Amino acid sequence: MDVDREQEQALTADQRKAERAAAVAFTVAILAGIGLFVVYFSGGQTQLEGVLFCLILGGLGVGVALWANRLLGAHEAVEERHELTSGAAGREAFEHALAEEVGPTLARRSVLVKLLAGAGGALGLALLLPVLSLGPAPGRTLKETPWRRGSRLVDETGRQVTLASVPEDGFITVFPEGHAGSADAQALLIHVPAGSLQLPPDRLAAVPHGTHVAYSKICTHAGCPVGLYRATTRSLLCPCHQSQFDVLDGAKPFFGPAARPLPQLPLGLDDQGALIALGDFYEPVGPAFWDREKP
Amino acid sequence: MRRTAILLGGIALLALLLTPAAGTATQQPPGNSPALFARGRELYQQACASCHGPDPAGQSAYATVPSLKDVGGAAAVDWTLRTGRMPWKDTVGPVIERGRPRFGDEDIRALTVYIGRAVGDAQLPNVQPSQDLVPEGRELYGQACSACHGMNGAGAALGGANIAPSLQNVSPQDVAEAIKIGPGEMPVGGGLPDYDFNSGESTREVNAIAAYVESLKTRPYNRGGAPIGGKGPVPEGFVAWVIGLGALILAARWIGGRS
Amino acid sequence: MTTMIERTLKYVDERLGTASFARRALRKVFPDHWSFLLGEIALFCLVVLVFTGTFLTFFYNPSVREVVYDGPYQPLQGQEVSAAYDSVLRLSFEVRAGLLMRQVHHWAALVFVAAIVIHLCRVFFTGAFRRPREVNWLIGIVLLFLALGEGFTGYSLPDDLLSGIGLRIFYSVTLAIPVVGTWVTYLLFGGEFPAGDIISRLFVFHVMLLPALLIGLVVLHIAVLVLQKHTQFPGRGRTERNVVGKRLWPEQTFKSVALLLFTTAVLALLGGLAQINPIWQYGQFRPFDVTSPAQPDWYIGFLDGALRLGPPWDLTLFGYTISEVFWPAILFPGIAFGILMLWPWIERRLTKDYAEHHLLDRPRDAPARTATGMAGLMVFFIMFLEGGNDIFGVLLNVSVEAITRTLQWGLLIAPVVTWLVTFWFCRSLKRSRVHPARISAGLRLRRTAAGGYETDPLEPTSSNPE
Repeated sequence: MDVDREQEQALTADQRKAERAAAVAFTVAILAGIGLFVVYFSGGQTQLEGVLFCLILGGLGVGVALWANRLLGAHEAVEERHELTSGAAGREAFEHALAEEVGPTLARRSVLVKLLAGAGGALGLALLLPVLSLGPAPGRTLKETPWRRGSRLVDETGRQVTLASVPEDGFITVFPEGHAGSADAQALLIHVPAGSLQLPPDRLAAVPHGTHVAYSKICTHAGCPVGLYRATTRSLLCPCHQSQFDVLDGAKPFFGPAARPLPQLPLGLDDQGALIALGDFYEPVGPAFWDREKP
Repeated sequence: MRRTAILLGGIALLALLLTPAAGTATQQPPGNSPALFARGRELYQQACASCHGPDPAGQSAYATVPSLKDVGGAAAVDWTLRTGRMPWKDTVGPVIERGRPRFGDEDIRALTVYIGRAVGDAQLPNVQPSQDLVPEGRELYGQACSACHGMNGAGAALGGANIAPSLQNVSPQDVAEAIKIGPGEMPVGGGLPDYDFNSGESTREVNAIAAYVESLKTRPYNRGGAPIGGKGPVPEGFVAWVIGLGALILAARWIGGRS
Repeated sequence: MTTMIERTLKYVDERLGTASFARRALRKVFPDHWSFLLGEIALFCLVVLVFTGTFLTFFYNPSVREVVYDGPYQPLQGQEVSAAYDSVLRLSFEVRAGLLMRQVHHWAALVFVAAIVIHLCRVFFTGAFRRPREVNWLIGIVLLFLALGEGFTGYSLPDDLLSGIGLRIFYSVTLAIPVVGTWVTYLLFGGEFPAGDIISRLFVFHVMLLPALLIGLVVLHIAVLVLQKHTQFPGRGRTERNVVGKRLWPEQTFKSVALLLFTTAVLALLGGLAQINPIWQYGQFRPFDVTSPAQPDWYIGFLDGALRLGPPWDLTLFGYTISEVFWPAILFPGIAFGILMLWPWIERRLTKDYAEHHLLDRPRDAPARTATGMAGLMVFFIMFLEGGNDIFGVLLNVSVEAITRTLQWGLLIAPVVTWLVTFWFCRSLKRSRVHPARISAGLRLRRTAAGGYETDPLEPTSSNPE
């Protein structure tokens, strides 16, 4: 009892202040807890919940920190480091324990050990087999899209797209009929002023009236949809890494990390004058991969 | 007899004044007062002709300045003046940047009337964004607008001196007019398929998009708290480092020792 | 009350022998410097992540099956969305405290990686990775990778437009791996993009595989630390053979508990007041939709920036293609993190210092290491800046092209300049100050004949209390 009283009297003014502050902090925490119950049972509100949780936790934290800093008494302690190593003797004993009862079959050149290794290797390879079931072989799927000769153009809702759907200097996203929303078939139909395209003659022939040109919407850099068409400069900007493609020059990249132009989709008009594709894109769409150039 | 005539005339006048100019028409003729037209012409000569040329429908004074002949007519005038984009602010920054409007409402109406009539396109869009169109508007916005303006209207850089401005605080009138005009790099029609200012289908689509843009200002939109600019993970990362880790490092310095 | 505790302790001790072990453990000494708490901040963020994450798991549905949204968020009503996206919307709008838990979880993830990085910097710049702590360094770097993986898989789970774009980029990066890229990608994703299986597979990684590795390695990391004892800064009474600080009980326990409480408090505050990843604004992922601006969470930002920096060089050798994505997204991180992982051995070779070290360097005491570290940070900093080039462009009224060109040149010049400046700065700081180990009672400032100043350590005397 006497010791306790002595210890109490030993509390300095600083410590008494800290005690009071810690008491206030803990009280704040309790009140915030009550507040949290009220907020939760009256429907909840994210901002209030966050603030009140902060007050509970922070109140507790301030109290405990004050306790740790001021009320525990600063006792610096010293501990000796021990040697980490077991020493050569220790390691020898370990090796001895390993080798002790194993017997002559573990001699390095033993046939049994080699066969064990072989069987282990076979098991290892066999265990890889279920991994191969995780996905199909790529095959030609990266090089083909659902576009075919004669595919009609539709927008993402499946509505047919006509020459009049796109005003001059306008653009829309198009898909082959029956595949609206297809990830690899997505293309941009852009209406450029007549005579402005600078394409080689065979590519220009695949642009109805020389005004309605279509390119793949999948960026050849890292695959984002290139959705930003700039009407006055007639160029496309990809929002992911800022590659920019010149629509009038075969969608060649003129700035940014993309290395290849957006593949063109050849378009034509069928007997009824409706917009159709004349075949798949001229090149595999999207980012490059190892065997992209291989047939 | 005379009293009846005056009464009828008064009722007619009242009816005229109280009838909203809405209805189903997309047209909203901005008044036909000759005084307004004259005021508009006077203002044009004072404030616009030095760059855009003496005749709005003619050539402009400089090669880099577009003629007002086919920039979108009255809607373009109304939009650029109301949002303070015109008169151009001292050659600093892209024209696309919003600013304080430099003309009062009456003067803007006057200029709109004058230039609209002069270039032969006096129609202003009549927007009616109603709450129930918001889901449809969101879908259309995702098709046509989100690539440049961001799904939450945050806006983005377009390369060079161009930006797609933030839509988080614009009016439905701004939306409708911009779609009609196709200002700057924005295509006419805003990327909507089969856009036609006079068609009912397009009007409905524009109303829906305007309704969605309006909804960007509402509480459920920012239910999680302060939007930190609405620009996504970059400002979020900034806050995590400066406020989150910053506060915790201060806490560690308080708790821990200095030696 | 006390007798009950005594009886419980006796019960446990008779069966497990805990008392003597606990006494030894509780008396362990840990050095007291505040910078040694940075790793704990990361640990406590992990605790928050596990608790909030478990809550989220009860609501999240890892399925891409299409459902029609009919919740209270009006702009999406009637929309066909994936079940995963729908479940996160429901959590955010219809579950009480759901949005708070989601946001706390996400803020905790951001601060978790930030704390790991700052802890890594402390360990690097003080040379704490030197023998015998190389293994713990390796474990730490692996923990960093796991944290990055957890973050990326985590924010891709809601299947929203922004994270879906990120997944598409990840798909393209794995495609760019030479020789086996297409196979690895198809095995990982389950087919051509957007392979439907990927969401449920990311879920398995995020909730089971990566946390198991993370928690296991964290336990190992701490165990090695306890076994080897913590390092300490040089100072009075501190040698290579001892540890000076405070004991685990009560001082360090109270401090750690306080830090845990502060960490959770800060994260709770952010989770309630600062909106993060508002997926309802972005809308559901559709492979032909895009939004601007488009960035990943901050810790993936350096890869995004690297991809933006370019260069647009794809290579075709013997008919086989190496994509332009290979250099910034596969080669650069491979080299950078390879150097990071192997640094203890690289430094050992260069400095010929094979000794055990338990006393830390101040950064200025190892100018070459500090300079190299700062140069490395500068490389990553430039990439982070480039990752936000469109946002900074709008903010500063500068074109993205100008920012990109500046940072491309900056990447070549700035790290070199940083190295030289840092090296010179460390050297001159070293020259003008006495090593703390030599200060026992203070410093005296002395004017030299040449006119400059020198500092001399004072000897402890009765008038200079220590």
